Amino acid sequence: MSADSHSSGLEPRRVVLGFQDAEDLGAPDLPTEPVPLNMGPSHPAMHGTVRMVLEVEGERISSADIQIGYLHRCFEKESENATWTQIFPYTDRLNYISPMLNNVGYAMAVEQLLGIAKSIPERAQFIRVIVGEVSRVSDHLTCLGASAMELGAFTVFLYALKAREWLFELLEEVCGARLTSTYCRIGGVAYDLPEGFGTKLRDIMGRIRGVLADIGKLLERNRIFRDRMDGIGIITKADALAYGITGPVGRSTGLAYDVRKDHPYLVYDRFDFDVPVGSVGDNFDRYAVRVEEMVQSMRILEQALDTIPAGPVMVADPRVALPAKTETYNSIEAMIAHFKIIMDGIHVPPGEVYSFTEAGNGELGFYIVSDGTGRPWKCRVRPPCFSATAVLGKVLPGLFIADVVPTFGMINMIGGECDR
Amino acid sequence: MADSGPFKTVGSGPIKAAPPPPEMVTVVIDGKTHQFPKGTVLLEACNAVGADVPFFCYHAGLSSPAVCRQCLVDVKGQPKPVPSCYTPVADKMEVMTKSPRALDVRRQMLEFTLVNHPIDCPICDKAGECLLQKHYFDWDAKFARNDGIKVKKHKVVDVGPHIVLDQERCILCTRCIRVCDEVAKTHQLEMAQRGDREVLTTAPGHKLDNPYSLNTVDVCPVGALTAKDFRFQMRAWELYTMPSVCPGCATGCNVEVQHSRGQVYRLVPRINPAVNKHWMCDEGRFTYKRAQTERLVAPLSGGTPVDWDRALDDAGRALSAVLAATPNQVGVVFNAQSTNEDLYALARLAFDHLHVGKAYIAGMDQGWHDDILVSADKNPNTAGAMAIGAGRLRTLLDLSNDLKAGAVTALIVVGTRGVLGTGPGVAALPLERLRALVAIGTHRDGVTAAAHVALPLAEWTEVDGTFTNKLGMVQRVRAAVPTAGDSLPGWEILSHLARKLGATMEFTEAKAVFAEAKQKLPFMREADWGRPMLPVQLRFANTRG
Amino acid sequence: MAQIVLDRLTAAFTGGEILQTGSQHGNEWARVRRDAWIKVATFLRDDPATKMEMFTDLTAVDRFSAEPRFDVVVHLYSVTLKHRVRLYGGCPENDPTIDSLCSVWEGANWYEREAYDLYGVRFKGHPDLRRILMYPEFVGHPLRKDYPKEKRQPLVRRSHTEAGE
Repeated sequence: MSADSHSSGLEPRRVVLGFQDAEDLGAPDLPTEPVPLNMGPSHPAMHGTVRMVLEVEGERISSADIQIGYLHRCFEKESENATWTQIFPYTDRLNYISPMLNNVGYAMAVEQLLGIAKSIPERAQFIRVIVGEVSRVSDHLTCLGASAMELGAFTVFLYALKAREWLFELLEEVCGARLTSTYCRIGGVAYDLPEGFGTKLRDIMGRIRGVLADIGKLLERNRIFRDRMDGIGIITKADALAYGITGPVGRSTGLAYDVRKDHPYLVYDRFDFDVPVGSVGDNFDRYAVRVEEMVQSMRILEQALDTIPAGPVMVADPRVALPAKTETYNSIEAMIAHFKIIMDGIHVPPGEVYSFTEAGNGELGFYIVSDGTGRPWKCRVRPPCFSATAVLGKVLPGLFIADVVPTFGMINMIGGECDR
Repeated sequence: MADSGPFKTVGSGPIKAAPPPPEMVTVVIDGKTHQFPKGTVLLEACNAVGADVPFFCYHAGLSSPAVCRQCLVDVKGQPKPVPSCYTPVADKMEVMTKSPRALDVRRQMLEFTLVNHPIDCPICDKAGECLLQKHYFDWDAKFARNDGIKVKKHKVVDVGPHIVLDQERCILCTRCIRVCDEVAKTHQLEMAQRGDREVLTTAPGHKLDNPYSLNTVDVCPVGALTAKDFRFQMRAWELYTMPSVCPGCATGCNVEVQHSRGQVYRLVPRINPAVNKHWMCDEGRFTYKRAQTERLVAPLSGGTPVDWDRALDDAGRALSAVLAATPNQVGVVFNAQSTNEDLYALARLAFDHLHVGKAYIAGMDQGWHDDILVSADKNPNTAGAMAIGAGRLRTLLDLSNDLKAGAVTALIVVGTRGVLGTGPGVAALPLERLRALVAIGTHRDGVTAAAHVALPLAEWTEVDGTFTNKLGMVQRVRAAVPTAGDSLPGWEILSHLARKLGATMEFTEAKAVFAEAKQKLPFMREADWGRPMLPVQLRFANTRG
Repeated sequence: MAQIVLDRLTAAFTGGEILQTGSQHGNEWARVRRDAWIKVATFLRDDPATKMEMFTDLTAVDRFSAEPRFDVVVHLYSVTLKHRVRLYGGCPENDPTIDSLCSVWEGANWYEREAYDLYGVRFKGHPDLRRILMYPEFVGHPLRKDYPKEKRQPLVRRSHTEAGE
């Protein structure tokens, strides 16, 4: 791993097998033939629902055909028939482990088309950063927990999910739902943070640091874990560029690209944080990068909670923000405004924009085409784990069948995002 | 309304000599120079070049009283803002539609209009297509300054057989009064009282019962006048609209079929200066109802529902038997209610392949007419049927005689409406004398009940096709809703039937039938199939207002 | 922001391959003639002033009533120079084909499969052009504007032997 400020300080160990392959022992050549092996879509380790049609010779994979699409729920087609605000619940269900990050990404894209991106109130921007980072932490916890469980470390899974529960309870206080938050709106966020949010979050972060320490102790020098993760599933930096792999998977290959640092958006440029970058690109690098990212996310959260200003959480544009309920029920003007914003949808001027943010898995892009009415002509999601899943077709051949499990787990393919 | 919503008119017009070129004047609008024909209304000129000016009382098809003052624009050299709906363009005029004073005046006028407007949006039928909502949202987004105590007026006034009036919602634009006076040519509505007590009411001794009364509902910018037929049935923003042509009479008024979830809820007129301008009659508006009731949805053979294969087999067998034994006793009935495509397919099958000698034309009987829009001929495609029949068509009276004389023993009827008419001599069509009666019809009626094989036909709202109106214009009908049950378009049914009768007539889409008919039939030479259109959801189209 | 990319493109391609360029909402874009698709893409990847090594996104837009009907939209990014560009390749309705970018960036493979699946745009030279999100027996291309949202698909029946009886 590189020794610059981006490293996390964890060392990989090249683990030597205690026994030799049958080939080395000079055993007689056993007759083999390629065997098709179907993994998924119904498979405990194929979470997110993906089907891998493998051709194996003995235990080694000779070719892998990754078939996705089992969780395709027509996000784009539905978006073309829904108003701009009605798309927020659909975005929740993209990367459903970190829904706030999708909300934020989509809201920013529409605001750019509307031209109000610079007028979002500061408090709303801070809130978006805070809930986004909370979602990122819960995303990484889920990925690590699930992957560890599939390697046999069930305790780690329970620890990680216990930590995630604290975050979900906190998010439930903010927006009313653990997973399907629909928290952002075009022009800001739907409601302000509840009272006591900062104190609760700091308390939770302290406990999460403890959980991360526990998980580290259980996994990082664990012989089985390291055997199964080190040197397995190596993705090269050239492949990351050719396939467009970003996020923790891309950074594990040595590609130092993080949207928050390279193209700061919202108020990320005010915070001091590091971006962990791997060097080998194997499963363990991806694990280490994610652990370190959680630590850095918590750094951002501390700073954000310290400096969040007071103020409104919604832009004061009557054509974008809903009027107050008392006004709506008592004056025809507010009634009409409320009616038109909801029924017609916000009138976004014709144009196209590609807006990108750093989601849990990498660069989440929204390419939106507007025809001037209250609904998009096209609302495309550029899913970060789509590219990472695609490269598996190149990475898996040559590995053992058992290596599919940690490799696939560490890619963190979220079916909702990959298939939309 | 300046334009009729999402669709431009499609359809060929009658050929006439080109008018002399108009005299042009130069006008500067918002800094850009334009040329317009002399006499153009300034409001139309501004909207044509994209400098949108809101308005309520102006309507392109009516006279312009300039009562609402919403269209005020600044003209250089004039001390006060000028109502652009009343001012024709003049040479070297300089117009500022977005000057601070013009925008301010617009806001003030909207504020005045909204002062006494009831907070009815959740229960008002016009919500979603209301001009007041649209202009408020586009031009004045400020909140109310007064305390909200509004003048009370009558809210559910029964002004006529089809229309309900809500006096509180009325913004006093007088468009409805002008529709009655200028389009229907009767005075049935007028304003009473004055100031903020001014209300719309019926003229003394009159009700709003002229045959064009529902046009007032179309032109009303708010939900003051609502149609009883549509009231509380469906929300405007859930409707999808598809352009088509009314099948009520031979005028062929252009309409928009507004539907949702496979059901048609209303018809509204589409602008066509050559046919119906901005209007249509009430009777035509209700033609959508009969397309949705009492439909024949499954093929019947001997009165029992069967599947298509079985029904076509039976029909083929019955007809082939007669064709083989006595081919000159087979007849076909063209219906002036069918599309050109259906009739062309029937003509091709009957005359070219089966060499049928006996052809008849059926249709609805003549009815009342006036010199505004309504024709006496209540069939949309008489001209098309006669042209396709090419002089070989005889009347139903002849059919009746032939049946009685035994000269016709097998009959294919395409379109059963009006076959069993109410006129003298045809009511008692002795259909039971037929050895083979194949009825291709839309409804369960006397003909399909008497038929040996009844095949369900799709209605005009469910097919793509063309009608020819009395002026010879070939106009396009478009499929808006899915076909009812198992019904199919006529040309498709005839293609299948042709196969069973040993003839080759393979049509797979209406466009192909149209293309072939266009080549063979002179009256369709100028016809245009038009571009494919997606149904537009009213919610995301411009307000129809 | 990425004006340098557009300048390099218009300087290097003078035969009309770059039909139009522009910048909107901070995104620079260029419309490329279909037959120069691979040439322009390779240039953008290799030219030292643009260096678009990262392939970000490929999709298609159905303009429906405009010509050309389909626009293949590619987003490219340079990690070293930190700029992006969007390329449009227009394909008409009667011939919705364009060259595949798999030879330039391997990652275009799955994205092009998706554009084929959902829009029906065929990519010439693609190593494995088959559906990716829809099942193989799906009829039609669902994201086209004339594919109604409520359209039903024929049921796929498996034979008795396949079902394992």
